[in-house]
Amino acid sequence: MSPGEQVVGEDVLHRLVEKALKLGASYAEARFHAVRGHTIGIMDGRVFAAGYEELVGVAVRAVVNGGLGFYSTNKLTPESLEDAVERAVRAARIASSNVKKPISMAPSWIGRARYSVWEARPLESLSLEDKIAEVRERAASADLAKWGVEIRRVTLFYQELSEHKILVTSDGGVVEARIPRPLVYYNITASYQGEARNRFSMIAWSGGLEGLDREDLTGNMEDDARSLAIALREARPGPKGRMDVVLSPELMGIAVHESVGHPSEADRILGREAAQAGLSYWRELKIGDRLGSESVTVIDDPTIPGSFGYYLYDDEAVQARPRHLLYRGVVTEMLHNRETASVFGVTSNGAARARDYKSEPIVRMANTYVAPGDYKSVEELIEDVKEGVYIKKYMEWNIDDYRWAARYVGLEAYTIRNGRIGEPVKDPVLEITSPEFWSSIDAVARDLKLYPGFCGKGEPMQGVPVTMGGPHARLRRVEVR
Amino acid sequence: MIVEELEGIAEEVARQLEGRVDEYVVIVERGRREMLKLSGGEATVYQSWDTVEVSVYTARRDGRILLTELSTPAPGASVDEIIRLLDKVEPSPLYAPLPSANGESYRSVDPAIISHLEGVETLDLGHDLEIESVGDIAGMALLGAEARVFRNSYGDALRGEKTFFQGYARVFRGSVSGQWSWTSTSYGGAKKARRAIQVARELADECASLPLGRIEPGEYRLLMSPMVAGSLIDTLVRMTNAASIIFGSSFIRPENVGERIFSDILTVRDEPRNPALPGYALHDDEGVATRDKYVVRRGVLETLLHNTKTAKLMGHETTGNAGLIMPRPFNVVVEPGDVSSGELLEALGTGVYATNIWYTRFQNFVEGAFSTVTRDAAFLVKNGRPVECLQRFRITGRMRDLFSSIEAAGKEAWDLEWWEIPVPTRAPHLLAARAGISSV
Repeated sequence: MSPGEQVVGEDVLHRLVEKALKLGASYAEARFHAVRGHTIGIMDGRVFAAGYEELVGVAVRAVVNGGLGFYSTNKLTPESLEDAVERAVRAARIASSNVKKPISMAPSWIGRARYSVWEARPLESLSLEDKIAEVRERAASADLAKWGVEIRRVTLFYQELSEHKILVTSDGGVVEARIPRPLVYYNITASYQGEARNRFSMIAWSGGLEGLDREDLTGNMEDDARSLAIALREARPGPKGRMDVVLSPELMGIAVHESVGHPSEADRILGREAAQAGLSYWRELKIGDRLGSESVTVIDDPTIPGSFGYYLYDDEAVQARPRHLLYRGVVTEMLHNRETASVFGVTSNGAARARDYKSEPIVRMANTYVAPGDYKSVEELIEDVKEGVYIKKYMEWNIDDYRWAARYVGLEAYTIRNGRIGEPVKDPVLEITSPEFWSSIDAVARDLKLYPGFCGKGEPMQGVPVTMGGPHARLRRVEVR
Repeated sequence: MIVEELEGIAEEVARQLEGRVDEYVVIVERGRREMLKLSGGEATVYQSWDTVEVSVYTARRDGRILLTELSTPAPGASVDEIIRLLDKVEPSPLYAPLPSANGESYRSVDPAIISHLEGVETLDLGHDLEIESVGDIAGMALLGAEARVFRNSYGDALRGEKTFFQGYARVFRGSVSGQWSWTSTSYGGAKKARRAIQVARELADECASLPLGRIEPGEYRLLMSPMVAGSLIDTLVRMTNAASIIFGSSFIRPENVGERIFSDILTVRDEPRNPALPGYALHDDEGVATRDKYVVRRGVLETLLHNTKTAKLMGHETTGNAGLIMPRPFNVVVEPGDVSSGELLEALGTGVYATNIWYTRFQNFVEGAFSTVTRDAAFLVKNGRPVECLQRFRITGRMRDLFSSIEAAGKEAWDLEWWEIPVPTRAPHLLAARAGISSV
């Protein structure tokens, strides 16, 4: 379904930008932004809701007298769009009356490009009913009961975020992008002898429905049911105190996202998100300072083909590239948009993202991961552990608003004794500061896996598609509760 | 775009759906918003929105349902496609016959907000908030108006119009801070906002005047500020949403209705008809009359939140909390108690006073095992006196245990809404006899 399929083209967006300049803006951009797609909800194998959602509109940003204004509308008549420019300029003027340090946009690698993500099986090639049939069949193929626990409920959602945007900036940027992003997320609730657990998981990518084969929904669901069964049937309270901990790519992913990726966002470092997502302990660091061990290199790379966080140009038309946030434990780069880059006297590294036409572009991650090391496998990491815990999956996590202390609670975890994996451990808690986490890593494996998610930030809150991951890694002498 | 134009859109969609589907609801909503965002005592951006969104629910009596959310000025063009899709889906276990609308239209607007949004008489938010005098302040202030029309397959038509003014402020004093929020249906000269900023400032000042400390992990008496209580009660109310229970995302069980599962100090209401709070509405998304109701009354779970679909599935009646597919609360109100503001710390005695939290997450939804992280001012209190400003820590445990141990509520309630309190909420201080605390 593509009702309307309205597009506000490049020529119209150019006119809007020109008008903003005539009205006194020193910088302006106009973005047509559409996000569309089918949604399907399935509960215990039965479709309980299906539908179609679209968000289609235009956003205009302008800088006037050092104040930044943003206006967004889905009224796309010529008169409404003309009005949108006046509203954006008015907003910028209101902002400027409350500004002490004028805002400016750093010169950066501005693009003129048109790109789209290739779909082997385009989302539009399948009807809604065929999508329902395919997703349901894959979910139904998962034998969740074979692990000996009662599966009380399986709720599953299929969703498409097919993004089409055209961006024009007043300093020459023109970018058109089409990025389809399908996703499936599910919640499995299982119980055993009166105790219950649940597990949320998600598979997601950029591309067409061919991703359903690659991402193995059936296998993922079965594996999560297995984890729940282990947690319910076999896990017992484990060792506590200081010990070695081996973390899976899933745990490394959430840790790198929360305690390196977010703190590296320059707007957070500057305090722009202070009342919302908070500040950052990177305020106390500078480029060249050591945060982690030699084993830790962290990269945020929007350009990974097929990834959920994929893009080639950001929402300020800046060309995307891999950002090395940490290199061998040393702080090497922050994530910037053009506004923060201007404050730090650097060029933007293309991290400005907006979820939809209602959202201003702010500094965001894309695909954030710990670079693989040189250990052959998780077994090799464990070989050298006398007593410890291996955490494979988690449910609960959180981190304070300074990104200083995080908590991860294992769902599937095991003891390690004398270099071997032992019995399952119930709810091991790793509550640790970011510097301790990254400096205690002494070994990183070669395997690498990325996990999709939505990252929330901004006001109004914007959840943007990202991935996070890493290889297995070993932390020496950290406290497990 | 005035309400009559929204009705025109709804009528056009209804005309095209008439006779081609068995049941339908069309909701057309216009939202206008303006937001001043602050950091470091200055504006980081001024944002403004004007959007029209169209929700179309269609159903066949055999149980097939389809929800379409459109952001197009000509949704009528999509009707053929909606009908084609509806005929391709299968009967839903959530289907319930659409009720005829017995709700009322409503209008609760503040002319000052409307005239600001229309550019007739611009309010000077920065001046009215007196941010110049505060120093290092971050936060946001949002002015908005919402107009919506409802039309269903019975020919029922309803209107709703309201305004709102909400926001939050975080005031820094060196490395410590205080944060508070406000929410309202009127501007009122920004008085509520200034009061919230004042509270944030006082909390930051008080924390800055005390030595910094670190709490040892353990079990403590816990005084929750309205910001903390409001956030956790919002989470609790989410758990009473019938959809959360059906989908396995709640520790509440259907058989808990009628049972005492929390402290008898705790009373929580959903108040859609409260005109002071921005969730105000006299009809829900199925056109059913909303009603103010006890969700928890003196510790007893009185009801789950239902629309007709979840109600039919669970053998209950709708509570007038419909979203088109899932139920939702409108305004959460926690009943105040009898402890005056000056007596709260005395009632706590020795323990911990947390004034703000964020990032509440569950290890296990089904059993309600959670943790949440404090931010901003938090105090170690001994014999009724704050003695240390505490570094960030976590409140951990099970929701049911925490709310079973409530032993007092403050007299004064605050109207709040922010990131961590997504539903407009009126909450007092709550005092828990036992709460798990962890820290590093």
